[in-house]
Amino acid sequence: MSDYAQMELNPRGAVKSESPLAMTRARVAQAASPQEARVLICEKAFLGHLVLRGNADDEAFRAGVERALGLALPLEMGPLSLDEARGISIQWMSPDEWLLIVPAGQEFAAEAALRGQLTGHYAVMNVSGGQTLLELSGPCVRELLMKCTPYDVHPRHFPVGKGVTSVFAKSSAVIRRVGEARWELVIRRSFADYLYSWILDAAEEFGVFVASGEAARSAARDAARELATEAR
Amino acid sequence: MSQQNRLGTGGRIDRSRPLRFTFNGVDYQGFAGDTLASALLANGVDVVNRSFKYSRPRGIVAAGAEEPNAIVQLGASEAAQVPNVRATQQALYGGLVAASTNGWPNVDRDLMGVIGSVGGKFMPPGFYYKTFMAPASLWPKYEKYIRKAAGLGRVPKEADPDIYDHINRHCDVLVIGAGPAGLAAALAAARSGARVILCDEQEEMGGSLLDSRELVDGRPASAWAAAVLAELATLPEVLVLPRTTANGYHDHNFVTLHERRTEHLADLAPSLNGRRQVRARMHRVRAGEVILATGTHERPLVFSNNDVPGNLVAGAVSTYIRRYAVVPGRRLVLSTANDHAYRAALDWHDAGREVVAIVDAREHPEGDLVNEARARNIRIIPGSAVIEAQGKKRVSAVQVARIDIGGFKVAGRVETLACDTIATSGGYSPVVHLAAHTGARPEWRDDILGFVPGKVPGMTPVGGVHGKGALIEALADGAAAGTAAAQRTGFTAPAVELPKVAKVREGKAAALYQVPHVKPAMRAPKQFVDPQNDVTAAGIELATREGFESIEHVKRYTGMGFGTDQGKLGNINGMAIAARCLKQTIPQTGTTVFRPNYTPVTFGAIAGRNCREFFDPRRFTALHAWHVEHGAKFEEVGQWMRPWYFPRGNESMHEAVQRECRAVRESVGILDASTLGKIEIQGKDAREFLNRLYTNAWTKLDVGKCRYGLMCKDDGMVMDDGVTACIAENHFHMTTTTGGAAAVLDWMELWHQTEWPELEVYFNSVTDHWAAMAINGPNARKLLAELTDDIDLSGENFKFMDWRAGTVAGVPARVYRISFTGELSFEINVQANHALHVWQALFDKGEKYGLTPYGTETMHVLRAEKGFIIVGQETDGSMTPEDLGMQWCVGYKKPFSWIGRRALTRPDTKREDRKQLVGLKPLDPQLVLDEGAQIVLEKEIRIPMPMVGHVTSSYFSPTLGHAFALAVVKGGSQRMGQTVYLPMADGRVHAAEVVSPVFYDAEGARQHV
Repeated sequence: MSDYAQMELNPRGAVKSESPLAMTRARVAQAASPQEARVLICEKAFLGHLVLRGNADDEAFRAGVERALGLALPLEMGPLSLDEARGISIQWMSPDEWLLIVPAGQEFAAEAALRGQLTGHYAVMNVSGGQTLLELSGPCVRELLMKCTPYDVHPRHFPVGKGVTSVFAKSSAVIRRVGEARWELVIRRSFADYLYSWILDAAEEFGVFVASGEAARSAARDAARELATEAR
Repeated sequence: MSQQNRLGTGGRIDRSRPLRFTFNGVDYQGFAGDTLASALLANGVDVVNRSFKYSRPRGIVAAGAEEPNAIVQLGASEAAQVPNVRATQQALYGGLVAASTNGWPNVDRDLMGVIGSVGGKFMPPGFYYKTFMAPASLWPKYEKYIRKAAGLGRVPKEADPDIYDHINRHCDVLVIGAGPAGLAAALAAARSGARVILCDEQEEMGGSLLDSRELVDGRPASAWAAAVLAELATLPEVLVLPRTTANGYHDHNFVTLHERRTEHLADLAPSLNGRRQVRARMHRVRAGEVILATGTHERPLVFSNNDVPGNLVAGAVSTYIRRYAVVPGRRLVLSTANDHAYRAALDWHDAGREVVAIVDAREHPEGDLVNEARARNIRIIPGSAVIEAQGKKRVSAVQVARIDIGGFKVAGRVETLACDTIATSGGYSPVVHLAAHTGARPEWRDDILGFVPGKVPGMTPVGGVHGKGALIEALADGAAAGTAAAQRTGFTAPAVELPKVAKVREGKAAALYQVPHVKPAMRAPKQFVDPQNDVTAAGIELATREGFESIEHVKRYTGMGFGTDQGKLGNINGMAIAARCLKQTIPQTGTTVFRPNYTPVTFGAIAGRNCREFFDPRRFTALHAWHVEHGAKFEEVGQWMRPWYFPRGNESMHEAVQRECRAVRESVGILDASTLGKIEIQGKDAREFLNRLYTNAWTKLDVGKCRYGLMCKDDGMVMDDGVTACIAENHFHMTTTTGGAAAVLDWMELWHQTEWPELEVYFNSVTDHWAAMAINGPNARKLLAELTDDIDLSGENFKFMDWRAGTVAGVPARVYRISFTGELSFEINVQANHALHVWQALFDKGEKYGLTPYGTETMHVLRAEKGFIIVGQETDGSMTPEDLGMQWCVGYKKPFSWIGRRALTRPDTKREDRKQLVGLKPLDPQLVLDEGAQIVLEKEIRIPMPMVGHVTSSYFSPTLGHAFALAVVKGGSQRMGQTVYLPMADGRVHAAEVVSPVFYDAEGARQHV
């Protein structure tokens, strides 16, 4: 018996999966056309989310993570380690905690890779069902964020690549800046409805377009299945 | 109606855009650029309100935030009503509807005025306290009429249709006030590239530059303001916020700015591009440096009948003439103690109207403005003051007399001058309010006869509030502070070239506050200090005579400064009068404390978007939409919305719960258990950590097994409970109560980080990651068997308190054989994204078993039948495991101590008469006892009598066929079989038998099948 039990949690067959925003999206109408919208929102559903814990001072730990993921472990708040081509990012969350996001369905493989490379005191925890990622883009995103979080999102204080966890409305969110006017939020499943509705309400004055739709979501899901199958 | 007081030229109004408005039911016309106050003055409206206590007619006194009288009720429709709007700060728009807040039946014919003028002498300070103090029980009745008579606007009866919000801002330099000093500071700081916010409460930025007689760089001062604003608009890091009041200044340079975005357009926010606009926005600003450029408020002189309409502060006269092209009268008398106020007479004269006289308290007025008045042959009466105004609804004349300031007496004959307007100036009080919000006590300066702000770290006062009111000084002061503030926040600020301004020579001002009358203050016609609250000089004198020596007591006794204007106009005069009466100096007397808000803020702006659905976050499970679709009623558990029960058709709650209970006991029911807290624990010391955290032992829990655990605080009292499963040797899955999840994780991190950092273990919340579905009932196994082919569900191989990994409905799952109902039960956990699929599949297969969804109420009944506690219901932070009869769950023999162990060995926690968990069986089997009902041991009720416990849970059980309850009772475990009594508020006394808390299947046969 291994010391840790890793488990593939994605189904193999035809299963209708729902992101944390499935219910909310059905309720909320799109407010503006993509042309006039100054805030665009897109949920990147079904990604693999893993929490990695370990000792940043341990060279073997750092090297193991890099071998497993091909990305260096960030040792302080921002910048993210990001490989957009492979869809992988590692974000420093606290002195012994990182958030690893991988493409849909790859969370099992990523965890296995880490467990294969790491020894000693560490932990890898799959939280993929518990959170989702929203991408916000457009010229008014920064102003929108200012209506949501007390954290300073000015470019001088929040350069591209930075990520923090902070108060967001009356809940919290991971806030990441991945491009000049492109931001990501990682939000918890149970608060997703509240936060998403809050964001749409706050963005109303800018004109907001929800860039998603059933097609985009099922595409993501199919991709997840394929990747999961490949991973086996 | 004509605008009889409007000048044909000049001012900053747009004569091409006439606007209609209504005041007290009468239609008037003004122009774009007017305030409601300037438009009323243009139309010759003298009486705008009735006073609070004496119901005296009142007119407009000032032109800004300090206005005490022109307080109006705004709004054309019920939903748009806003009380207590200052007409001087309300921009005029087409269709504006306003009314006086006080005056019944109306301001011109006021019934209360009769009472005020007759009874005025008999209404000294403390009148209400003294007159209506007995009997105290009648005060609510008195108050109703007193309040109606006082009348201070009213709140709307309909919901506000507008939206409001908050925005967080960070800046290097926040400049509050856009007069000459503020503009210079903002420009200097902004040119460095620093992030600068400049806010100003007025419709138009520029402050005194907009009505100044002085030239800047040879052009009107307003042109310089426009040029600075134009430059600021080009700088990307600068935010300019007009119509924005810094309403609160808090610690660490956190300042809230109240921006009114649409209130100059209409009474309800118009939509923009088809979208709702935010009516008011609260900017929550964290500033590196704050530059306070709030200027000064001019002090009126306090003399008899100084409240008759037609009395204005001198600066307001200039503002109305130069900025709004309104001359608020025909014949002016100016009474002043300084040079600067001479502007009012000169502006009046420029407007072509008569200046009857300038009455100057100083013997030898000397200065550039004085000389200009002399050059125009305006009569100057030195060493004198206006001692009394005459007239009822408008000034008709003044009495002027030579005065002896030091001796506080009239020192010559009294001359009467006919006039319709009195402008007065006793000096200029720096607007210290914001700085005072931080707790900094204002400091008196004799050279400027005013209080300046106390020191606040990271704050620099500039211009008038800094005692540098002269234009040339204000500009230099502001520019230097702006440069320095930018440098302190890490920017290199090039020096700003100051514009050329001629120095205006001014003579020294006299310290005059209350003007002596020929009669003593107590007998002279009323001399108003705080017109909004009808506080007079005599009232303050009386207060000091009655022994109120602290200015804070004087304030509370007289009501000075308690109005919606917070005494901006009158407070310093009041303090000066108190100082005179107490024979001490003004700094010895001190100021009262100013608190946020600087001017009133609507509740909408305070609430922002945190209202309606956003008032508090609601948390949902992955199955919430299904619950809604199937008619669930919900209850809030923490922030979670949990199904409470699922009524069918017209079922009552009771009927639904009975049906759900029977379904579980007889066949199979299903509960969405996803809200339970879940914590993943990994690390080689995970087991040891559990040993120390829980009261019971974890060393021998095998992989594949689950165990119930109790968690105590260090005081030995139960704080949480739940089942923890051993997933692998160093890998555990803990569950907590729904409400306790976050606190338990924090608790674990605290102990790990501070007490046992050597333990190699990590925790993380996985509450949201897993969805949990609990199927309960004798048919649970049959149902699950239809959906899984890789888990051996047999009783021998999958025992109670085991868990197995496998596939349910095609979805990878962990299935825990744990039970909160006492029935055969499987809790299916899947990754939450796939939960609905599994839930639906269970219902597809479950139809033949009558699979019934049940909610928290049924869960409560079922678990209570089994005597299972709910932390927070059976416990209240004072229950030990032993009190709950759970000594089986306490491992005193564990080798290392655990949290709560020491406390549990204290004599007090070993007492036998502690409140202990018992069951109660009401003697009337149909009677459901009230939860919370107190328990006594005797049937005969006497007061007081010892109360020995209370009911913690109480239900009707369809399974048992009678009502039952859980309760905590002193020494309860020794009282089995005894009858206890529950006296109710209505006089009935219920009786119940003390029984075991386990009502159903005490041997546990049903869950072990």
